[in-house]
Amino acid sequence: MPTATLAQANAKTRANPVYIVHRIAILLACAAIFYPGFNPGRITTAINRNVSLFTACISYNSLVSELQRPLARGWVQSSTFVLVMIASIILVLGIVLAAIGGCMSVGNTRMQRKGLIFPLAGSIVMAGGLGGIFMAHAQIVTAANDRVPANFASGFWLYAVLAAVILLTTLLQLASGKGVELEEKMEMKEKYKIFLMFLPILALAFVFSYLPLWGWRYAFFDYKAGGELTAENFVGFRWFTYLFQSDATRADILRVIKNTLCLSGIGIITSWLPMAFAIFLTQVRSKRFRRLVQTFTTVPNFLGWVIIYAVALAIFSTDGFVNTFLNNILHITADANYLMDSSHMWLKMWLWGTWKGLGWSAIIYISSITGIDPTLYEAATVDGAGRFQQMWHVTVPQLSSTFFVMLLMSIANVLSNGMEQYLVFSNAMNRQSIEVLDLYVYNLGIVNGQIPLSTMVGMCKSIISVALLFIANTASKKMRGESII
Amino acid sequence: MGNNFYRKTAGDTIFNVVNIVVFTLFTILCIFPFYYLFINTISDNALVGANAITLLPKGIHFGNYVALKDVQDFGNAVMVTVSRTILATALMVLCSAFAGYLTTKREMWNRSFWYRALVITMYFNAGTIPWYLNMLGLGLTDNYLGYIIPAIVAPYNIILVKTYIESIPASLEESATIDGATTMQVFIKIILPLSKPILATIAVFGAVGNWNSLQDSLILMSNSPGLYTMQHRLWVYLNSSSNLAAAMSGGGAVTTGMLNNKVIKYTISMVTVIPIMLVYPFMQRYFEEGMMLGAVKG
Repeated sequence: MPTATLAQANAKTRANPVYIVHRIAILLACAAIFYPGFNPGRITTAINRNVSLFTACISYNSLVSELQRPLARGWVQSSTFVLVMIASIILVLGIVLAAIGGCMSVGNTRMQRKGLIFPLAGSIVMAGGLGGIFMAHAQIVTAANDRVPANFASGFWLYAVLAAVILLTTLLQLASGKGVELEEKMEMKEKYKIFLMFLPILALAFVFSYLPLWGWRYAFFDYKAGGELTAENFVGFRWFTYLFQSDATRADILRVIKNTLCLSGIGIITSWLPMAFAIFLTQVRSKRFRRLVQTFTTVPNFLGWVIIYAVALAIFSTDGFVNTFLNNILHITADANYLMDSSHMWLKMWLWGTWKGLGWSAIIYISSITGIDPTLYEAATVDGAGRFQQMWHVTVPQLSSTFFVMLLMSIANVLSNGMEQYLVFSNAMNRQSIEVLDLYVYNLGIVNGQIPLSTMVGMCKSIISVALLFIANTASKKMRGESII
Repeated sequence: MGNNFYRKTAGDTIFNVVNIVVFTLFTILCIFPFYYLFINTISDNALVGANAITLLPKGIHFGNYVALKDVQDFGNAVMVTVSRTILATALMVLCSAFAGYLTTKREMWNRSFWYRALVITMYFNAGTIPWYLNMLGLGLTDNYLGYIIPAIVAPYNIILVKTYIESIPASLEESATIDGATTMQVFIKIILPLSKPILATIAVFGAVGNWNSLQDSLILMSNSPGLYTMQHRLWVYLNSSSNLAAAMSGGGAVTTGMLNNKVIKYTISMVTVIPIMLVYPFMQRYFEEGMMLGAVKG
């Protein structure tokens, strides 16, 4: 490492245990902002359990979502909750200040020393925010209404301790560092600078991609919306066994899995279609015609499924194009609503998917064909190969690598058909045959509010999908010596 | 293309004809439904109501598009969709550009670890319900920010930008650094202008995704009709049997015949389609480049 000597010089301060405690305290404070259980501002149990400190800062409506009646009746004052919101914002500001100091603590000695002002100010601001929350709590206690019971949130103590630790470590650093020789300029090593710039992006990815995994714990509790996860309602794998023990759910889940696998299966079996589309399209001589076909056939891919459903209605409903055409042009009386017909649903769903995506999926093959070495065709001609022999013996083998990757990806995604297509097309007549896993989870969890069961189903789906992807990747490595992810 | 290397026979001619006919038919199949929707929205409303429009528009007028301004909920949905499309796309592009640039810097502390931690999020997801509960916990349900903040970090786009920046000659950046430019200055003055093509590509994909989004509106904003996106609103309309025409305060403003549910539904559908149709021919290059980049990502 080229920076070895610098690192040695800095190692003393970076490994300083006081700084390590200091940074850990700041990190904990930052993380706890997003965790509802640590919200210090839950001054009454009437505040929704799902409100985190972060939520309290950005959304007053969420904060008072379950307090509409008490507020309207005057049992509590809205000013109390405005105070909570302001205090929360101040608290978060304090944490942000401390975090700035924490970032500066990875710089050189001068930057560290100058940066100490931030955690110093930050911990005092945090104390101010906590004071505000304490005042709001006192107001609730004075209001003394049974329906809005006061609650001294444990998060309050967490933040009080963290603020104290930050303040203490800052003071220790200030005291111990007196007389240390400082550099000319504030500087930070490039590797930390770049990392700190990247940190906000990592934080967002963590909050929106990793944090939801924590929600898997709902699958192991007997949880009802608005309820609590406690040791009493911990049920272990009961929901998992319930899936297969209860006759109704077992029938449901088997039907849903059958739909999912069959719909994906039809897609996998016909996954050569885009390749055929590309091969035959490139046989057309007119460049203009090819361009035109490509432009128009890719358009449906960029329209949402709701639009596709609108199109379906316009063409196939009672007063849609098909009936209008039969009546007006062919003079055949017809008024069937083809969308209500629930026969061959899998085939129809596949047709809609193909209509929407075929042109688009072909593009990758069209580009690959353009890149094929022309000498291969020349050689084939010399060997006496006709047009179709060229297509079959030159073009197809050249595309097989791309095809193989696509095929493996669709096998890995066999459980994820997405839900929008099936959601928009589902109606009372056809629901049985087009409810796929993603839609089932949505119906079960969001529509019917069965959070634990639907979380369990979703969790199993995620785990199996990752395993399938892993297997597909290994297969690809074995067979082609190249990974697909 | 290989079609210059074979001898021409009668079979070839037949094949050519069949080939062209099949592709023509499929192309018509792809485009006709939108044409059909469109001619119904510009035809005389009374004729549309009587199912008299089949292949050509009759009694052309554009009053239905004007009349849409009276559908209050829809105007609101247009505002939500347009603003979120612009805002979320702009932030996503900026973030992807910056993150893509930072991840090309080998000196970053534990770069490969953090980069992998970011990339791996593409291959798993906790599922709809944990995602929803997470958003609920963050206060992003029934909140406009729920459309914006989660869309900022898009790992796939970050990979695309990173791969692209790695193809820019490193000497450009080096010479700027020698001249004393900071990381930020290099990013703004050199990297951003040079990576315009890839940024345009991810912007186009991001914008289309935002424009078409139904699921987040459906799950997150269920209690806030004011925050429904256009797609969500259209879906509600398509499923409602209630009289939309009656719900419009100034329905009488349309002079050519009475408005009916069918016309309103078609017109609203067209309003969500037309922007994409208009933009698509100009952006097609970027779409296709994006598709190819996805295929060769490193």
